[in-house]
Amino acid sequence: MKTDFTPYIVRLVIVFVIASLVAIAINEGAYLFQVDRNDRESGTVRLVIPPGTAERIAQGEPAPGIPEKMSFVVGDVLEVKNEDSVDHQLGPVWVPPGTTGRLVLKEANRFSYSCSFSPDKYLGLDVLQRTSFATRLTGLAISAPTLAAFLFIYSLAVFPMKPREKRIEAKT
Amino acid sequence: MIAGVILGVAVLAVGWKVFAQPYTYQGSLIDPPVSAAEIENPDQYGNPFRLSEQRGKVVLLFFGYTNCPDVCPTTLAQFKQIKAKLGDLADQTRFVFITVDPERDTQERVRLYLDNFDPSFVGLSGDRSDLEAIWQNYFVYQAKQDTGSAAGYVVDHTSRIYAIDKEGNLRMTYPFEMEQEAILDDVRHLIQE
Repeated sequence: MKTDFTPYIVRLVIVFVIASLVAIAINEGAYLFQVDRNDRESGTVRLVIPPGTAERIAQGEPAPGIPEKMSFVVGDVLEVKNEDSVDHQLGPVWVPPGTTGRLVLKEANRFSYSCSFSPDKYLGLDVLQRTSFATRLTGLAISAPTLAAFLFIYSLAVFPMKPREKRIEAKT
Repeated sequence: MIAGVILGVAVLAVGWKVFAQPYTYQGSLIDPPVSAAEIENPDQYGNPFRLSEQRGKVVLLFFGYTNCPDVCPTTLAQFKQIKAKLGDLADQTRFVFITVDPERDTQERVRLYLDNFDPSFVGLSGDRSDLEAIWQNYFVYQAKQDTGSAAGYVVDHTSRIYAIDKEGNLRMTYPFEMEQEAILDDVRHLIQE
């Protein structure tokens, strides 16, 4: 006699398909629910420091067009064009007058940098790890098999299977 | 057989050309690069130093002072490690330290200070009037702060590292605490440009 595992395999395949669908629904639902508006494709973020900025800052006025807190994703290029007559420092980017400073943000972190054109002289700068398709696929690759294993064991407990036995008759 | 090898090499070459990414510098790039202002001062040994004579070498420039409790020793220790990791390429690099505290940092004091890191590092001091011109050209901030400490005043100062390429252009800067490996990679590429 030989045990026939075909029903187990069929059930496992069905359970895996169901688990994958459930994992996709949960993962994507959670992603869409929690997605950060700053979570985007990396690109170039351009800022312009207009002429007279240093004078405005000296008078306690805010720098035009420069947010107090800035968020980036890994891979972003921060490009700062300095049209002012003095040098400026925007976090890690130092820009002599009349030039453009450019920095590729390669590391996810939360920085607090000195900033020459912020009234309080500091700038918060968040660099986030972008949630890419590969990240979501990795999440699915981890969650789907785990869920399938649990569902399969659960199904065996709730709907036990009686293994069929194949009688192999010897040819005479 | 030979034709197959040639074809394989050709495919690899084309693939390399198509897919190889150009190196991305990790420092804060200055575009267009500006010509680095001349620096002409005697070094810690009394020998004349001119930045313009360093053409053909990559120069890493840092402004600090010998009584500095944190940023300066950290940066100079970083210079020392970068130099060690550059190996043979270190000959094509100059590490320059310029004081922001000329009242205390005499030539002798700068020499003794740099001996703790690497005697081949160039240390520049001099009269305040001479140094002020250099500070101004490199937009260096420096201000004495009296903390009431027995050790004397401290000097708030610009902590960035300036990278000057082999053509004498100010190409990029690094903020304090920039990863050493990032600076090292950039210097290697500046040397090989």
